[in-house]
Amino acid sequence: MRHFLLTVAALLIAGPAWSQDITLPDYERIVLENGTVLLLSEKHEVPLIGLRAEVRGGSVADPEGKAGVAELLAAVMQKGAGNRDAAEFASASANVGGRLSVSADVDSTSVAAEFLSRDAELMLALVSDVLQRPTLAADELEKEQTRAIGLIKAAKDGDPNALMPHYANAFIFGDHPYGRPTTGSESSLANITRDDVLEYYTNNFGGDRLIISVVGDFDAAAMKARLAAEFGRWGPAAAALEDIPAPPKAPGGRVLLIDKPGATQSYFWFGNVGVALSYPRRAELSLANTVFGARFTSMLVTELRVNAGLTYRARSVVDQRTQPGPVTVRSFTETSTTVEAIDLAISVLRRLQDKGLDDDMMISARNYIMGQFPPRLETASSLAGMLAFLELNGLDRSYIDDYGSELQAAAAESVALAISEVYPQPDDLVFVIIGDAATIRDQVAKYGEVTEMSITEPRFRVPPAD
Amino acid sequence: MSLFSELRRRNVIKVALLYAVASWLFVWIISHMVSGLGLSPWVSDYILLLLAIGFPVALIFAWVYEITPEGLKKGIDVDQTQSIVYKTGQKLNAALAVLAVLGVAAVIGEKLLPEFEPPPPLVLEEIPLKPVFDFSAKAVVPREITSFNLPNGLEIIVWPDHDIPNVAMYNFVRAGGRDEYPGITGIAHFFEHMMFNGTESRAQGDFDEEMEAAGGANNAYTSNDLTVYMDWFPRSALETILELESDRLQNLAIDPDVVETERSTVYSERRLRIDNDNFGRLYEQVRAAAYVAHPYQNPVIGWPSDIENWTQQDLENFFKTYYAPNNLTMIFAGDVTPEEIYLLADQYFSPIPRQHPPPAITTVEPPQEGERRLLVETDAQTPLLHMAFHASAEGEPETLYLELLLAILAEGTSSRLHQVLVEEEQMLLNIGAWQSGGFDPGVAYFAMTLPPGGDPAAVEARLLGMLDEAATEGVTAEELEKARNLRIASFWRSLQTIDGKASVLGNYEVFTGDYENLFAVPEQLAAVTAADLQAVAAKVFRRNNMTIGVLRAPLEKEGP
Repeated sequence: MRHFLLTVAALLIAGPAWSQDITLPDYERIVLENGTVLLLSEKHEVPLIGLRAEVRGGSVADPEGKAGVAELLAAVMQKGAGNRDAAEFASASANVGGRLSVSADVDSTSVAAEFLSRDAELMLALVSDVLQRPTLAADELEKEQTRAIGLIKAAKDGDPNALMPHYANAFIFGDHPYGRPTTGSESSLANITRDDVLEYYTNNFGGDRLIISVVGDFDAAAMKARLAAEFGRWGPAAAALEDIPAPPKAPGGRVLLIDKPGATQSYFWFGNVGVALSYPRRAELSLANTVFGARFTSMLVTELRVNAGLTYRARSVVDQRTQPGPVTVRSFTETSTTVEAIDLAISVLRRLQDKGLDDDMMISARNYIMGQFPPRLETASSLAGMLAFLELNGLDRSYIDDYGSELQAAAAESVALAISEVYPQPDDLVFVIIGDAATIRDQVAKYGEVTEMSITEPRFRVPPAD
Repeated sequence: MSLFSELRRRNVIKVALLYAVASWLFVWIISHMVSGLGLSPWVSDYILLLLAIGFPVALIFAWVYEITPEGLKKGIDVDQTQSIVYKTGQKLNAALAVLAVLGVAAVIGEKLLPEFEPPPPLVLEEIPLKPVFDFSAKAVVPREITSFNLPNGLEIIVWPDHDIPNVAMYNFVRAGGRDEYPGITGIAHFFEHMMFNGTESRAQGDFDEEMEAAGGANNAYTSNDLTVYMDWFPRSALETILELESDRLQNLAIDPDVVETERSTVYSERRLRIDNDNFGRLYEQVRAAAYVAHPYQNPVIGWPSDIENWTQQDLENFFKTYYAPNNLTMIFAGDVTPEEIYLLADQYFSPIPRQHPPPAITTVEPPQEGERRLLVETDAQTPLLHMAFHASAEGEPETLYLELLLAILAEGTSSRLHQVLVEEEQMLLNIGAWQSGGFDPGVAYFAMTLPPGGDPAAVEARLLGMLDEAATEGVTAEELEKARNLRIASFWRSLQTIDGKASVLGNYEVFTGDYENLFAVPEQLAAVTAADLQAVAAKVFRRNNMTIGVLRAPLEKEGP
């Protein structure tokens, strides 16, 4: 058995985790005459196909005061398309074990599908119908509208974390389009008419806005021909894609307190406007955020959970979009320790800003990011999603292929620069807290001017409106 | 004389061919003139129409008339011995050949003259869109999977997969809510937390720091039956991970100070999942009412007073009994070989001593003999309705039947219950259904959210009517096929990733006693009949077998 041991020893002296290259697999990019972009990559380990279509637009194209139009449209698009009514459309994919869903995000509306490769013909026809020939029936729209309002009320009875993004975006971004809730609010949803939805579809859906990414068990030449036939004749959207301006930083020292009477726990986010996807020091930012609040041994988890037992979860999230998205610290704690937990989280932020990352932190974070990366591109659907993401945001394969070398090249000084550029100073923080206001109202006033609203109010911001 | 040979004799076929080729050439020239000379596009359409009308006329003409040396005559008037149809045929052949040459020349010429090139067709090539994967092949047990046991009873299964340079490791510990009793409920879940909190040689936090610095990440979950630890790491970290896992299994420190901090963290988790989430509150109550004897009645996270009160001795006893090697199954999926795992496992895990097996759980839930009802009153804009029916354990055939039946009833928007209750009658905002069977029989569970002002009693009546219908009328062949397809797709989905492979392989090994059963799924699905589903509906969906819970806001009090 001795030689066996030697072999194993040799295998185990492999280099550090980051010496492995991260690369995207080969894929083909085709631009049809109408502007539709196709992204194709074959992958044959299992008989599955993952498809992601992105239509540029999303909730930023919602009309003023009508937040939720894009998401409502996405819901109704699935309620009948082509020659199938709502029930037939739902059955068509489920009957073959396939999945097909439409959802609106900030910058785009997505169609995600995953299905057995033997059902490719049918599923592509469904994707084509849902995008180009949705029925958008009045009665289905009315049902979805009522249901969407009900689901927001239900979410208010559930885990408050689900609603935090809506309150926080509204408070941080104000009137900027990023301040609107993607799902809409109870009040904005009630304002939406069928004409709004039809107009949104006409203005924002068309071949010039479309990206279709397909990865999995198929022949690329056949898939290309099929997609070209299916989408190549789709005309352009009626309206031009509007540029979203960069949002201004929010004035700091303000608190939005959402009262949930009887809550035994306070849920909090604090932060401000961060940076866009084009931010040049992205490797440095990844390293900094990994150490600060994006893994289990992060500074936030170590202090708030492991050392203090104040919470089950604490993290920091840098949400990068076409324009700067929010950068936030997020956690929750028992009502009586609300201020203790927020103070501790602020002190951890201050420590990050004062001390930066030492060498051990840099190496550990680099290994962690690189070691955890390959599984993110393991499935056909995740690859299809990544290819579509790159195309949607004007990025190319170097965004992935160069990531490893950028992480290795990042120096502590440039990480410190990224920290100073991205994370708000304690004076610039904006706070959003859901909890039992009667108990914590006076305590949280120390963070700034408190604006209070009830969780049962039908909107996510204090009036005037969403 | 057959019609065909007469058609040939009278040169009708040749005329047809000639007409077609000539027309094609004509249209080709015209269409190029249209694009080249800027004529309006309807010109070529118009010509095409005229040619189409002329086609039958030409054929009839060819049939009826014949060319003779005296001129054109009706065929029936021509003496067959004098007929020169053969010669005419030869002339037609020659004309056909000339036109064909012209056509080919035109097409070639077109290729040589790029300025005449029409836009490329949208359909690039007619290739059938077929899977490359061979669907006719049966799912067989992959030969590369290897299993072995160490002398101390630790069971290890290795599934090599070199697609990405990573490894997923799952450690299945046979300890869950089922192994608890009043006073220590939640202790299995608490251990899930304590396993990360330090050993005799490592301080709290070191385990995670070393793992993450080597590029690895971890998580864990506790269920009614199991505590499962997962590590995901680059293969370069393999030995680091095994050493870390071995250290915590052999030398776990249960530091009283750390226990107190972790109690607070677990309490925060309980507040998150149950106390501040109406779904969690009702779910806990319904399960507690559905079981009167079996430990499945306890919430996995533990009752609040037990979280506050378990003792150091409770913790030490639990660890010694349940974290013994003979109570574990470890799965490695990914960029490894069975040989290297065997050697490393032998080095790091063999020294851990075997223990007496944990006490068997012998409590059997007695049959339910009447429906049970409960109410939770709390702040709520949207009422909740939950229902539980006693069912079967993992690995029993009925569990597979029930899984398919629940898919038909409540999986996705095309399911029966969603279509009727959410779409048609709008009595619900959503509905979900699943079953919870593990080592012992679980429940079929229905969870529903009503719209504001919704009437739980009306939903209950409608839902029970539909469950009765499943029991009396059964399901259709199409519905059964759909449920099968949903399961086949999820079977393949689970095998897409090394994480999925480790997870499903381990679950089949632990719950059915043999991981090879995983690969029998497609065949088992094929053997299920609609009658199997109807029988399980009739057995499970009985009123006397039901626990029903409602959560709603307190009703307005009437005047004093």
